[in-house]
Amino acid sequence: MIEIKNVSKWFGDFQVLADVDEVVQRGQKIVICGPSGSGKSTLLRCINGLEPYQKGEIVVDGVSLSDPKTNLYKLREKLGMVFQRFELYPHMTVMRNITLAPIKVRKKSRQAAEKKAMELLERVGIPDKAGAFPANLSGGQQQRVAIARALAMEPACMMFDEPTSALDPEMIQEVLEVMIGLAKEGMTMLVVTHEMGFAREVADEIIFMDEGRIVERGRGDDFFKYPKSQRTKDFLGQILK
Amino acid sequence: MLDAILQNLPYLLGGFLTNLQLAAFALAGGLFLGILVGLGRISKRPWVYYPVTLYVNFLRNIPLILVIFWFYFVMPILVGRTMDPFVSAAVSFIVFEATYFGEILRAGFQSISKDLVSAAYSTGLTYRQTATHILVPIAFRRMLPSMITQSIITFQDTSLAYVIGLQEMVRRTTIVDSIEVRSVQLYSFVAILFFIICFIGSRISMHYEEKSRKAKVL
Repeated sequence: MIEIKNVSKWFGDFQVLADVDEVVQRGQKIVICGPSGSGKSTLLRCINGLEPYQKGEIVVDGVSLSDPKTNLYKLREKLGMVFQRFELYPHMTVMRNITLAPIKVRKKSRQAAEKKAMELLERVGIPDKAGAFPANLSGGQQQRVAIARALAMEPACMMFDEPTSALDPEMIQEVLEVMIGLAKEGMTMLVVTHEMGFAREVADEIIFMDEGRIVERGRGDDFFKYPKSQRTKDFLGQILK
Repeated sequence: MLDAILQNLPYLLGGFLTNLQLAAFALAGGLFLGILVGLGRISKRPWVYYPVTLYVNFLRNIPLILVIFWFYFVMPILVGRTMDPFVSAAVSFIVFEATYFGEILRAGFQSISKDLVSAAYSTGLTYRQTATHILVPIAFRRMLPSMITQSIITFQDTSLAYVIGLQEMVRRTTIVDSIEVRSVQLYSFVAILFFIICFIGSRISMHYEEKSRKAKVL
């Protein structure tokens, strides 16, 4: 579904991604972890065509992002994205946040879009907040709306960029539960997170990145119990305490 | 003591109507062009950014009265026919005010986080859709008090169009005064009319400022 071949990216002289290679199969759940500044978020942004890269190639569903003929807008419809700070449209109700893209991009009728949005709000557990504005929701509720907004476009893959790191501890669980539910339904997922419990439970593969490189990859418990490189050991030692 | 005003009231108010009409054109056109200018000023495309920036910096550094003169005297040479003072003034104001509204909106656009824009793109919205539904509405709301203030200034400035002979209120007042010789009452009347409109405007601006502070919606 997503092929990342030898991708490198520089911000000026600073190399943020260095020869990143990765293949995401349909239905796979991949967790990416690593210290801040290791290029995790940048990698997601590159896959979504939100950032250019200078070397290598990314192919999503057989379509190359480097090809100048590629319609990035069309491509992004296939990839849902959830951000650290929710990024809901502050001037729109929850309902409008979710239905905007289905109505404008997919040309759905308002009625059909709203019906779908209610189903999604039901699924993330806050159907009563349809008429609320983002500012009146808790962080956990905002993030669940953000997930519903991404799902409304019926993406083939969902990407999460540290979805719980801006949340108060008591709200992390409600967001993770929604994500675990999605994983169980077979959604292809690419998740940047330090929630190692989540990684252990759902990840088919865990990637550790440092200084723009994939340093190590592994599966579930193996990754945590027998990390190969010293850098991975140090990092896991810090976050698992 | 109001004799000069009362005798010429329809004539004077007709002039005031011209000020209001000119302001309406200046604001509608200036806002529309200002949106494009503001978007151009945050554009990453050099062939958009540099020409727009040059235009903004040039016009913001010359007095409005010069722009009004310039359009009135230079445009006929370029276009090949004389221009109606109202049309000429309206064009001058739109071109001039667009740079101010553009800069206000630019500040509004820049207050919107990069990730919010990315979020919009990530749902498949195009640049145009993102600008229409996300960037412009949020920037308008955040910048509403400044925009109202700039609108008040625009309205006051419409009186400058008297220099090209536009029959607006100040121009008509000078005409009436030259006949009646009642300078104090006539010019006081003009001042009061302008004050009323602008005072209401500034109250509306304060109201929105207070409201957005309380609501914290944006």
